[in-house]
Amino acid sequence: MHDIADLEARGVVGVFLASEAFAEAARVQGESLGFPAPVVLVPHPVQDRTDEELRAVAEAVAPAVVAAVTGPA
Amino acid sequence: MQLPDGLVAVVKRDCPTCVLVEPVLRGLGAAVWCQDDPGWFAGDDTSLELSWRLRVETVPTLLRVEGGAETARVVGWSRPQWEELSGVSGLGAGLPEHRPGCGSLSVDPDRVDALEARFGDGLASRRVELADREDEHEAAFARGWTDGLPVVPPTPERVLAMLRGTSRDPGEVVAVVPPDLVPCTVEKVAVNAVLAGCRPEHLPVVLAAVEAACADEFALHGLLATTYFSGPVVVVNGRITRRIGMNSGVNALGQGNRANATIGRALQLVVRNVGGGRPGEVDRATLGNPGKYTFCFAEREEGSPFAPLAADRGVPGDAVTVFAGAGVQPVVDQLSRDPGSLARTFAACLRSVAHPKLVLAFDALLVVSPEHGRVFRGAGWDRARLVAELEQLLTLPVGELVRGAGGMAEGMPAGSGADELPKFRPGGLLVAHAGGDAGLFSAVIGGWVSGTSGSAPVTREVRT
Amino acid sequence: MRTVLDPTGERAPASRQLRPRPDGLAGRTVGLLDISKARGDVVLDRLAELLEREGARVLRFRKPTFARPAPVDLRQEIAERCEVVIEALAD
Repeated sequence: MHDIADLEARGVVGVFLASEAFAEAARVQGESLGFPAPVVLVPHPVQDRTDEELRAVAEAVAPAVVAAVTGPA
Repeated sequence: MQLPDGLVAVVKRDCPTCVLVEPVLRGLGAAVWCQDDPGWFAGDDTSLELSWRLRVETVPTLLRVEGGAETARVVGWSRPQWEELSGVSGLGAGLPEHRPGCGSLSVDPDRVDALEARFGDGLASRRVELADREDEHEAAFARGWTDGLPVVPPTPERVLAMLRGTSRDPGEVVAVVPPDLVPCTVEKVAVNAVLAGCRPEHLPVVLAAVEAACADEFALHGLLATTYFSGPVVVVNGRITRRIGMNSGVNALGQGNRANATIGRALQLVVRNVGGGRPGEVDRATLGNPGKYTFCFAEREEGSPFAPLAADRGVPGDAVTVFAGAGVQPVVDQLSRDPGSLARTFAACLRSVAHPKLVLAFDALLVVSPEHGRVFRGAGWDRARLVAELEQLLTLPVGELVRGAGGMAEGMPAGSGADELPKFRPGGLLVAHAGGDAGLFSAVIGGWVSGTSGSAPVTREVRT
Repeated sequence: MRTVLDPTGERAPASRQLRPRPDGLAGRTVGLLDISKARGDVVLDRLAELLEREGARVLRFRKPTFARPAPVDLRQEIAERCEVVIEALAD
């Protein structure tokens, strides 16, 4: 989240991708930095999934990721 | 808060008079609030809110309340007054007749600003809540409020303390600030003065500088938007300069003096934050100059060969003069002992403002140091005499100025019909006196485009 | 909660705002910043394919550890080369 806050300040449009387990942490961190950092959540967990499952996760969240970095802010 | 009807008192356990009257208050069955010990009486005013709202200045304070409103008040201990207010006789057997009270915590100078910020509603500026883990200095950078250096966070307490530096109403509009043409109140100037690091006693000078810089003839919008170097330079005159500790002596144009540094910076922050004049946006300067952080100094009036600059410009006493300055160019002359020779040195250096072949386009502020000033004082030259001499020396032959002359394409267009042209427009050369005792140096502060298409210096009274 | 007073002319919101978003990703350079957590790269690989299908030019970056902010040089490089950045994947 610090990275996205910094990169947005440098002029780069950013989004952070986190698993649902990090939803609260991401929200709190964004709030505590005073910065409404956009977060897209993927289902938890990630590390023990098969490649096939992870590719499906990517496909599922791709529209949300694109939406977070395009269109009206 | 609704006060209960009957007798109400505010006390402080740390106050011997309050301790003395404790049995009296209990005997009367008064509703008592204590400022420093929540367990002493039933009422807890450790927040001091009640004390602040009741404007309690002394403890104990005893009130009579009817229908929720105060109808009588006594402060300290006085048997006859307490008996009269309470309607009960024979109070405080064994107590002295009178005993003065103690200061209320709600008027403690260390707390009063915080209390006013918390319970008063006098400030109109939008309140910005910082997030829990947001660094307060980083927050100011992130919101674009700084000139690149750290600022003092403008808490309501600090702004209230700043506003004590002036008797002017916080809601009074000081100026309409370019480029966004935003009406700027005394309070907004105070917020930016806090950011800049000012003390409250600096505020009147900042207010005058903002007023002067936003006068039409100063052309602040154009000054901001230009690709040229300039920014406002503030010269301060009058007794206030010594009262608030401004520097007119050693290193007068340099760093290290809080008043000089923060007053000039506060003006720039008002332009940036209130007016919206930010570099890269409206401010298109090619190179700029370091004076755009801050450029403010006091004229050294003691020992000066000249009348105070502002007085010569029609504003005697405490006053600021703003000038659209582009930076400092040294003038060295360690040999001239007569005013004519020294004036020629000044003229030679002033000729190079912007370009030796460009005339009538740029103003200048000449800052004469004490050692140079002594030469003029000894010869009885005042400002008018020096300026007249310089104007004569700086009336230049057109042949040297025209485009192409001297192998330089830059220059004045041919065909003006004149044989000679003055370097400066009438009124375009200002002279001030400042600097340390030692050093046969003076300084030229080149100006920006002068006249109707540019900026004219502006002088305004400092009001407290 | 600490409170400060807004020093501005109050013509714009006082909270930090996100950058204006582009209309679409076609022709844009998108950086994928891998925070170096196990298996995140599999998701990013697939995401890269999908973004390229949208017409984006995808550049890959990796920060040394998820535990700390990316080094300043890496952030500078991303800022110079990318218009959009997607940081992933915290698990």
